[in-house]
Amino acid sequence: MAKSTSKDAQDLLRALWSAYSATPTNLKIIDLYVIFAVFTALIQVVYMALVGSFPFNSFLSGVLSCVGTAVLAVCLRIQVNKENKEFKDLAPERAFADFVLCNLVLHLVIMNFLG
Amino acid sequence: MAKLVVFLTLISLLPLLCNSFSDDKPSDRHILVLLDDFAIKSSHSLFFKSLQSRGFDLDFKLADDPKISLQRYGQYLYDGLILFCPTIERFGGSIDAASILDFVDSGHDLIVAADSNASDLIREIATECGVDFDEDPAALVVDHTGYAIAATEGDHTLIAADGFIKSNVLLGSKKIEAPVLFRGIGHSLNPSNSLVLKVLSASPSAYSANPKSKLTSPPSLTGSSISLVSVVQARNNARILISGSISMFSNRFFRSGVQKAGSPTKHDKSGNEQFLTELSKWVFHERGHLKAVNVRHHKVGEVEEPAIYRINDDLEYSVEIYEWSGTSWKPYVADDVQVQFYMMSPYILKTMSTDGKGHFFTSFKVPDVYGVFQFKVEYQRLGYTSLSLSKQIPVRPFRHNEYERFIPAAYPYYGAAFSMMAGFFVFTAVHLYNKPT
Amino acid sequence: MAGKAESLNGTVKSGSNQSGPAAMQASAFKADLSNMISLKSFKLKTKQQELLIRVSILLLVYVLAFITRLFSVLRYESMIHEFDPYFNYRTTLFLTEKGFYEFWNWFDSESWYPLGRIIGGTLYPGLMVTAALIYWLMRFLRFAVHIREVCVLTAPFFASNTTLVAYFFGKEIWDSGAGLVAAALIAICPGYISRSVAGSYDNEGVAIFALLLTFYLFVKAVNTGSLAWSLASAFGYFYMVSAWGGYVFIINLIPLYVLVLLITGRYSMRLYVAYNCMYILGMLLAMQIRFVGFQHVQSGEHMAAMGVFFLIQVFYFLDWVRHALADAKLFEAFLRITVTTAVSFGAIALGVGTASGYISPWTGRFYSLLDPTYAKDHIPIIASVSEHQPTAWSSFMFDFHILLFFFPAGLYFCFKRLSDATIFIVMYGLTSMYFAGVMVRLILVATPAVCLISAIAVSATVKNLAQLVRAKSKAVQSGSSKGTSTAKGSSKGLVDQSQPFQRNGAIVLLLGAFYLLSRYATHCTWVTSEAYSSPSIVLAARGAHGNRVIFDDYREAYYWLRQNTPPDAKVMSWWDYGYQITAMGNRTVIVDNNTWNNTHIATVGRAMSSYEDEAYEIMRSLDVDYVLVVFGGVTGYSSDDINKFLWMVRIGGGVFPVIKEPDYLVNGEYRVDKGAAPKMLNCLMYKLCYYRFGELTTEYGKPPGYDRARGVEIGNKDVKLEYLEEAFTTQNWIVRIYKVKPPKNRW
Repeated sequence: MAKSTSKDAQDLLRALWSAYSATPTNLKIIDLYVIFAVFTALIQVVYMALVGSFPFNSFLSGVLSCVGTAVLAVCLRIQVNKENKEFKDLAPERAFADFVLCNLVLHLVIMNFLG
Repeated sequence: MAKLVVFLTLISLLPLLCNSFSDDKPSDRHILVLLDDFAIKSSHSLFFKSLQSRGFDLDFKLADDPKISLQRYGQYLYDGLILFCPTIERFGGSIDAASILDFVDSGHDLIVAADSNASDLIREIATECGVDFDEDPAALVVDHTGYAIAATEGDHTLIAADGFIKSNVLLGSKKIEAPVLFRGIGHSLNPSNSLVLKVLSASPSAYSANPKSKLTSPPSLTGSSISLVSVVQARNNARILISGSISMFSNRFFRSGVQKAGSPTKHDKSGNEQFLTELSKWVFHERGHLKAVNVRHHKVGEVEEPAIYRINDDLEYSVEIYEWSGTSWKPYVADDVQVQFYMMSPYILKTMSTDGKGHFFTSFKVPDVYGVFQFKVEYQRLGYTSLSLSKQIPVRPFRHNEYERFIPAAYPYYGAAFSMMAGFFVFTAVHLYNKPT
Repeated sequence: MAGKAESLNGTVKSGSNQSGPAAMQASAFKADLSNMISLKSFKLKTKQQELLIRVSILLLVYVLAFITRLFSVLRYESMIHEFDPYFNYRTTLFLTEKGFYEFWNWFDSESWYPLGRIIGGTLYPGLMVTAALIYWLMRFLRFAVHIREVCVLTAPFFASNTTLVAYFFGKEIWDSGAGLVAAALIAICPGYISRSVAGSYDNEGVAIFALLLTFYLFVKAVNTGSLAWSLASAFGYFYMVSAWGGYVFIINLIPLYVLVLLITGRYSMRLYVAYNCMYILGMLLAMQIRFVGFQHVQSGEHMAAMGVFFLIQVFYFLDWVRHALADAKLFEAFLRITVTTAVSFGAIALGVGTASGYISPWTGRFYSLLDPTYAKDHIPIIASVSEHQPTAWSSFMFDFHILLFFFPAGLYFCFKRLSDATIFIVMYGLTSMYFAGVMVRLILVATPAVCLISAIAVSATVKNLAQLVRAKSKAVQSGSSKGTSTAKGSSKGLVDQSQPFQRNGAIVLLLGAFYLLSRYATHCTWVTSEAYSSPSIVLAARGAHGNRVIFDDYREAYYWLRQNTPPDAKVMSWWDYGYQITAMGNRTVIVDNNTWNNTHIATVGRAMSSYEDEAYEIMRSLDVDYVLVVFGGVTGYSSDDINKFLWMVRIGGGVFPVIKEPDYLVNGEYRVDKGAAPKMLNCLMYKLCYYRFGELTTEYGKPPGYDRARGVEIGNKDVKLEYLEEAFTTQNWIVRIYKVKPPKNRW
């Protein structure tokens, strides 16, 4: 039973990996960016767990800047991905412009909230 | 022409009128003395002379004189009142019990002397001040162990009292060696009144009863709860002296010797003169009168008074207290003047230090609580005027830009936020210039 | 009817067909008609005609929404009504005078003496900032208006803007016809007018606009999947958070909507984009408001949004994995593992958070919405507000009229044509109607939903009926013209068969619908005029000869305070009047309408219900100089302090057990006449209200001391005050002010 589950898990991972390798490079760049943001967020959470949440607003603004960046990047990926039929009328320039605008607002608010 | 001359002389005399009671000189100047008959003026002349020698201007009038009045056109004509008229039923002129009490309530002093057969009017005035005389009109204070030994065998109504209150302010710094001769009615203090004090109390063996009739029931006033002489210092610092005997003010009592029954010492002179002279100095504000001026507070390092403080500010508070010596203001020296920083309860209570010249000061840190605080100085010592100063000042919390900034514990978060911004720039560059393969 | 034109294929043609013969005739009379203005002489195409009609309708609706709210300004004067708006006015005044940074950091030492109040951190600044911006804009354009006029007219202005948003929203959900009807309905709906008349300068006036705007932008974002619209909805949410505490409704409804879409399988990529962007940016922006602070991550009321956020990540991740994996079996295994871990992780996090107290539970105000009996037992202050009582059917009818019948019909139409937008409006309508049933004041939140759904019903019904009416003329023309397609012919043929009854029936129904709508308009205007346009600070009544009598006692008393008391005097009154005293009387008060400190209010309640000597001790400890009471016995005014007295007892007794409510009642009955409880006859409130009242004859034929508000002769006519003295009584004895005497001199 354990062997079959581990075999299943290996098959799963292999299938995922092969499926993922097929994605275009620009989407992979976006994915890297998302992983970077999530990773930074996790580091901050661990740090907060160790040290305590004293300047809570700084903690929140740090974590939310990472989460916000990740989320906006995923939205961009969705809109730019050619496989999504819903967004086939959306010009990639328009998607990117929206993305930049949202990030601008995000960073401005983060700066105000940081402390 | 003559009218003009009279007018000019009167005008030139005007400055002399401004010699009466004022805040700058709290000692009273013009005293109205109401007497039952003018015989009292001569039989009590020593007492009156002691007052006049200290600069008081006494105006003797009969108590039922129809022309007497305390005030005219809203201005009080006198600074103090002495009532040596225990049997008066109705005052003449425009004076009555209510006007006398208004006189006291507007800041003027009063000496009331009662005696046996004191009238209801005098009793009423005394009751309003918190002193209840014995209801029996014929009662006197009788003391079978503390009476004064007299040549003739008396009924022990002349007593030698030495139950003095311990207060240098009230009775002067010199100890009164000889007991005080007293013959008159006793009174008790109303327990609900917190301002009345017993200055001379009877000995524990005294009681108040009619000496001529047999006692049918135990007397209501007994022992040391009988007060022979009481004072009241009102909240507006008017002082009232109530005595149960008018004869204790007389020349005869002043001059006579006294020996208390059961005591071997015979004093040549009774303590009446010293006792009453010192007490009258106190009543007429020559002693124990304080004023507090120049309340100042400011932040440490600044000079002017701010309109609002912030929590955790350091501030300094100072006040000047002076004592009237009878002729001039002298700096008040004490080590127990405290200031409170008060908002429904004192958050800070500090004893102020003094430099000996009347300047009291202290400094403290504003507590961590915001609200509307008061600087309160509540100084009530026996015999001294009560100082009740309060100054309101709001205390605000931090403004949005007064919190600490760039907290070291938060550097990782700052770093993360800035790294996100940098990442964003890099990403946009890469994304824009990335050629799809 | 031209609005319906674009969705019917036939009528475009019929329009052009009509203009053909019309043009032929017009050319003959061109010389005569050239001076007459007609749409056709402008040579407008149908689309442009339609646009013109739409714009003019919207313009009329905009103006209508504004002017229908002006009754009280015309009848009385341009003044602020009620209680809360006075506080808002005072803060707006401060903002315009001192600037934004002083406003943001304002510590007010004149209310809640001696605790003070950090106003900058305990209010929702949206309304004040909006009014201040309008004021500065007008000043910049050199209109010398006073800030009070701007404050009075802010609510009607935003009501007009709400009608525009309702139009766009209706267009998004259904079509532009529904949008127009929605705009018209919401312009005059009494449920909204009640809180947005001119003079009612309160948060709701702006908040409903923000609410509808946020919802519209979000629905637009879900429909288009664009990040820009999501950003706009985040800003709309920020405006809502800055304006009103009711933003909790948005932050719970939208996650609920997302959840419903996920469960019913109607989700799409657009939903992901819309919700995520709106949630993260909206949450960040909302936390900039000091009063809201960290509630979005710490309060139980906001946890639904966070939960749905995490759920949506998991959901779409699984969706992406399923799309990437070809093999279904592998995916199922993966699915099982992920779902179990995610759900358990979420449950543990929620449990730990709630148990440790980190996530605060639902506050009393919102909890009483879920459990309506909670407030009455535990929090008397919330229960005592008349707006928080459950709603009666009469209130629904009064505020909605025929919309109450169109609402279920609209629901039916929405279910017939389900789309993301209609699901949203159905959810909004149902949840808001539930809450409106729990608390009267929340009818306001339900009004836009009811108007929109009713508009759908009205619009769809009228369109269908009009189609039936026009079908006859179409059939006639298609018979005479050539080249009609068979499909059209057959459909018209079908219509032809049952033509006579159907058409007549349709005309009758159409007339019926118009009749109902006209009755609605009449009702709304009547309601606005009679019920919702009274500034409760000025009272009006009919005199014996039918003439109108105005009681301006409140303002008389406040101005007396302002002019006759020392500037640092402290006034004690019940908390209802606190804002007005501070704003108009400019004096420090002990408690006011913010009701943030229950103990302080209970202390005042205790003072009012104690005997005079105990009350004097309490008043001395609070440094009170003046006491203000409101008394309606002479005029019959029934919202006075004697009628509110039992609440003072309850609130005081809630903190100080020495005050017991049964002491003031006789057999459970509240009386003020001879049979009243002795504690009632001697308490401070009774004495202050009825001092010298026993000598007054109030009504012909009744004994002196007859209380017209309670309808009885009072029990204790010989009131003597020992520690207070009467300072001022207004002309009609409505407001009475007493001065607290200093302690006795010789005692």
